[in-house]
Amino acid sequence: MTLPTEPIGSIPRPPALIEGLRGFEGGRISQRELHTLYMSAVQDTIERFEATGSPVITDGEQAKHSFATYAIHGLETLAPDGVPIAFADGHIRVLPRLTAGPFRYKTPADVYLDLARQYAHVPVKQAVSSASALSLLYPQGGIRGYSREQYLQAVMAELEGEIRRCLHKGAHVVQMDFTEARLSIRLDPTRRLLESFVDLNNLVLERFSADERKRIGVHTCPGADRHSTHSAEVDYAELLPSLFELRATNFYVQLASEPDRERVLKLIRTHAKDGQRIFVGVIDPLDPRVETPEEVSERVFQAAQYIPVDRLGTTDDCGFAPFSDDTSRTRDTAFAKIRARVAGTALATTRLGLD
Amino acid sequence: MSDRRLDRRLRTFHTCIEALFQAGSEQELLQSICDTLVTGGEFTLAWIGYGEDDPGKTVCPVAQAGHGRDFLEDATFSWGGEARGQAPAGTAIRTGKACWVDDIRTDPSFSPWRTAALAHGYASCMAVPFIAGAFDLHGTLNLYSVERHAFDQSTLEHFAGLATCVTRAVMALRGHLADDLTSGVSALRASEERKRAQEALQQAHAELAHVTRVMTLGELAASIAHEINQPLAAIIADANACLHWLDADRPPLDAVRETLTAIANDSNRAAEVITRIRAFLSRSSVPYGPCDPAEVIRGVLPLVHPELRRHGIILETSLASDLPPVMGDRVQLQQVLLNLLMNAAEAMREVLPERRRLVVRSTVEHRDDGPWAVVAVEDAGVGFGQDAGPRLFDAFYTTKPGGLGMGLSISRSIVDAHAGRLWATANPGHGATFHFALPGMR
Repeated sequence: MTLPTEPIGSIPRPPALIEGLRGFEGGRISQRELHTLYMSAVQDTIERFEATGSPVITDGEQAKHSFATYAIHGLETLAPDGVPIAFADGHIRVLPRLTAGPFRYKTPADVYLDLARQYAHVPVKQAVSSASALSLLYPQGGIRGYSREQYLQAVMAELEGEIRRCLHKGAHVVQMDFTEARLSIRLDPTRRLLESFVDLNNLVLERFSADERKRIGVHTCPGADRHSTHSAEVDYAELLPSLFELRATNFYVQLASEPDRERVLKLIRTHAKDGQRIFVGVIDPLDPRVETPEEVSERVFQAAQYIPVDRLGTTDDCGFAPFSDDTSRTRDTAFAKIRARVAGTALATTRLGLD
Repeated sequence: MSDRRLDRRLRTFHTCIEALFQAGSEQELLQSICDTLVTGGEFTLAWIGYGEDDPGKTVCPVAQAGHGRDFLEDATFSWGGEARGQAPAGTAIRTGKACWVDDIRTDPSFSPWRTAALAHGYASCMAVPFIAGAFDLHGTLNLYSVERHAFDQSTLEHFAGLATCVTRAVMALRGHLADDLTSGVSALRASEERKRAQEALQQAHAELAHVTRVMTLGELAASIAHEINQPLAAIIADANACLHWLDADRPPLDAVRETLTAIANDSNRAAEVITRIRAFLSRSSVPYGPCDPAEVIRGVLPLVHPELRRHGIILETSLASDLPPVMGDRVQLQQVLLNLLMNAAEAMREVLPERRRLVVRSTVEHRDDGPWAVVAVEDAGVGFGQDAGPRLFDAFYTTKPGGLGMGLSISRSIVDAHAGRLWATANPGHGATFHFALPGMR
């Protein structure tokens, strides 16, 4: 038995692609030229990903605008002044605001999966947005003639279709990004918003059979972007009881950057349910220093004291560049960290006597 | 303060109060407040910051308006106790009290930002915390003026009042975010659960219907075996005859050909019975489609014929040639008819042989909403008493020894699902007639 290890998703885009995106937005390069840059970035990312030895890879989300808005980027029914997300370092990301219905995805995740599978030689994992994240697009004042329920129904239908197609097309796992979970507690300390998020995401997850859900996971983290996060101050004790109510099998939980990992592991042990596999974060993307395999191994070994090894896996705390314009980390650092995760997990497998 | 300035401030506050009621989101509200305060002309920069719980205890700007936005991009304010926490923005968050700087040029608390502030023309500033009773947004409203000594106790009290109103509005909007989503999700959850319950019911109904079809065919097994056995026996006999003829020096080829044709016909007859049985036992429910009631009847009669014959029951049919097609599931409708025929046969088992007569009749009824196909199964059996009439279609009601009492109940559910009607009438002489009517396709 080998401990499974999987990435979260994003890898910093190559400078040429970031420049190309600016050029495209400024009307200096064509859609076709941008597509060529995307293809080149995806190919290079997959080659470098496979070279790390990672048994499961992603496309590095090279062609995604952001982890949350990839499917809707470019829709004409969006305005740029939606819910603002303030990060601890002072920068703000603003979600788009829906201005009219009906709601449809523009570029669902399986489109990116198709592209990645052209180049991949190992299983590819596909991240998707969550219904709860997309629920924030609907304006609080409502939209005349298009109710919130209609919108949420449309979101659920789009998401279900997207996940089904990804599973059908052979995604190793489909991972729903739920970074707004922790954020919701910051926005609403009564946790009613979190409960609604969980319920909404469960409405989507319940559309899948138990077998299908074995290939569906949920990722939570405090929303890393640039050099900071949006909700690291929220205590996991507030989040984890609700998080494990989600009807997913795999949970990708940020842990490496937690100040008290042992406490979080105890919380996981208390609240995770039988049949749920916990991929603990052993790499901190925000830390510029590359972890050593020994450090990773030590983190896995610590986690194994609290989570049965047949339900344990490893991952990165977060993507390395959830937003396409994020240049806070280099590709080299990201791949070096992934290599450390893979090597460290293998070391831990031996140390735990699993191989 | 001059009357003119006071008047201007009141107008500004009036617009701010309107924003409290009109803003659809927290961000919209905060931005609107900043915009209004700068438009009012009293201040050159207005910004709102929230205190973060990060290690640096950063005051993070979330809305801003006016001249010098780049000042905020470069400046770092903290609400901690160190030097960067001494500006009004940080102090107001830390202490929960409003405060101001009369002269940025000389006030030591503003020294980390002095150069940048003076470059932007700011001469004085004030910060008011967002607190309303027990609610503390952990943020401040920050106002910058090009005039020194622009703020005093009265100004502070005015803007503290505004900040209290904004705090309450933000708390209400935050509550709404959860309320709106909760109500939307609850409605979805209820709708999903209704849908699932309906699907589960349909599934259970289909399973039950399948079981009763299997049971009905089980009751017919002996007759069906006989029905298949007959052509098989004929095939064997005919084949032997052919073999015998072929041994002759000059085989009678015409007779062989004729017999082989008979073998083929008998094989087709047996295969047809099996095909009908297999179709009847199919488990899958299919979407409703156009369905010919005459075809439904023609599909069932051969299945029940041997059983009727075995019990000496004479079957008569009177079938309309112009039955309208209906929307439905052929197998389910066959199940209804088969059930009625089997009940009729059962009802006549104990009556005198000369009374054992069963009539299947189909007619067209023209109603206000169009033509309906009506099928009736009339027997001369024991009938049903007045007491039994209302209970005939109840689940688990049966007069047959060993019967489950599900056949008529399921039949009625099937007909109901086809927007039709199933009912029974007592015959004037003997027995009963069961009718079902189905609306023609519109």
